[in-house]
Amino acid sequence: MSRHQYAMVMDLNKCLGCQTCTIACKKLWTDRDGTGYMYWNNVETRPGLGYPRQWDRIGGGWKDGSLQPSPLPTMDDYGHAWEYNYEQRLYEGKKQPVMPSPEPKSGANWDEDVGGMNEDENYFFYLPRICNHCTYPACLEACPRKAIYKREEDGIVVIDQDRCQGYRYCIKACPYKKIYFNEVTGKSEKCIFCYPRLEKGEVNACAAQCPGRLRFVGLLDDPESPVHKLVLVHKIALPLFPEKGTEPNVFYIPPFNPPKRENYGRSIQDDPRVPLDYLIYLFGPEVKDVIVRLEAELRKTQEGGRSEALQLLIGRDAETRFHVRPQLVQIQL
Amino acid sequence: MRIRHLLIIASSVLLLSSMIWAQAGAKPVTGQSLPVAVSSASADSLLNGGTPAWNQIAVKRVALNRTPPLYDTDEPATLEIPSVDVRTARAGGKLLVQLSWRDPTRDAIALAEVPDTLPETRFRKVQTEADDRFFDAAAVMIPSTSGAGTTAPSLQMGDAEHPVEIYYWNATRGTMVMQAHGRGTTRRTGQSFPANSTYQNGQWSVIFELPDLPAGTTVAFAVWNGSQKDRDGRKYFSVWQVLE
Repeated sequence: MSRHQYAMVMDLNKCLGCQTCTIACKKLWTDRDGTGYMYWNNVETRPGLGYPRQWDRIGGGWKDGSLQPSPLPTMDDYGHAWEYNYEQRLYEGKKQPVMPSPEPKSGANWDEDVGGMNEDENYFFYLPRICNHCTYPACLEACPRKAIYKREEDGIVVIDQDRCQGYRYCIKACPYKKIYFNEVTGKSEKCIFCYPRLEKGEVNACAAQCPGRLRFVGLLDDPESPVHKLVLVHKIALPLFPEKGTEPNVFYIPPFNPPKRENYGRSIQDDPRVPLDYLIYLFGPEVKDVIVRLEAELRKTQEGGRSEALQLLIGRDAETRFHVRPQLVQIQL
Repeated sequence: MRIRHLLIIASSVLLLSSMIWAQAGAKPVTGQSLPVAVSSASADSLLNGGTPAWNQIAVKRVALNRTPPLYDTDEPATLEIPSVDVRTARAGGKLLVQLSWRDPTRDAIALAEVPDTLPETRFRKVQTEADDRFFDAAAVMIPSTSGAGTTAPSLQMGDAEHPVEIYYWNATRGTMVMQAHGRGTTRRTGQSFPANSTYQNGQWSVIFELPDLPAGTTVAFAVWNGSQKDRDGRKYFSVWQVLE
């Protein structure tokens, strides 16, 4: 356990699936050789295949104190990164159209907006994902090189690129498949929770750029931080697949969608747009309690009252959404 | 009851001490001897001259063992490479070691060349072609402090009192010299060494050019089979051999 723990809360009710976070991350961190297929931040459609596809069903994580087996996802599961022939079109005067190569056959959010069917009606929502910077990281346990460590000062999980030998046990162990192998460097890479930005007092690039204002960042143990309030005070944010046993530090406000019909005053549990079983699959059985709490907050405002939780979720300004404390994360030498 | 207890304690102490013994490598050198030819050919011709020069040199077939599964989540692996043929020669102040072994699959690729220019200045980046392939490799391990009569280090990458140097060749990524003083302590020195490899008719032949080592030095060999997802301690290894 680290002395402090940075955490992120994402409100799935507000995600537009615009991928601005994905691009913010990509431009900042994975625009290098060998990183084309890497999305330290990705947004996938749920229900859906995910990225890499079927990552939620192939294994990893903990059970009864032991790491669980998992195959390595293949490039077919990620989709091969493609490039466009801009050189020929823009500089060499060739008239051919700009085309991707190799031919795209799969990729991040390939099944965009397909979703699922609930009786006769289609439903879907977006699930943005980064490394969960888990309290008990399976990746860290799996690395025989001890190349992965959890920063004492803020709980961020990072891979020491000097120690990493590219064995990929970490990729197998991670139940969220959020570590990627760079074949050019022969080493594995992952989301670093933008720690160089946090140390300067700037919030994570994905959170800063989010037009939907759905990301909340702060220290989980800081009573002033929005993540502390949402997770520990209002208790309306949950980790993804809690049964994997790693105790993620990224939390989600589950899709709190209106009922399918006659939405005013009815509980979504009576006529859910998103089947409750699917939300339980993603967030565990506690999601039912969270929905009850969210509905109570909604009722409070519908009756003319004020809900602190919903006011916080609106997240009007950066001061509300982010509570970055650079003075807490500076390494004490 | 008492006696039974004592017996259990005594046997555990014995088992523990033998384990510590094996770990620390305090056992005297008992490895098998490895013939070393003195070649009139130059080190360079042995390294690059192809097979004829090596055909004159005595070969020793060294048995390989498969490491037991190291982690609960490891897939099981069978013994596909039971032995490695070793030829050793001194030439021009160097020790040349040729390792040959049968491996029906050649797990090696030519990695795309990375241009010197910064990636952000280029339209195209070099891309990861696959994330799940592992490559054939081999290594020669020697004690960092060698000499006749010295205690052999632990086979598990040396031990605290007896560090080792590892000359590692990878069919895709080339060579590097590493140092270690026990399992999990392997460190790249940043240095490489001359090596030459060929793959023909289902057989690897790799020549390592090492600094000259005195007679009595212990050496051990390791082979990784990429198609068996070998990397790390998931590999084939020999017991210590002693240079004649």
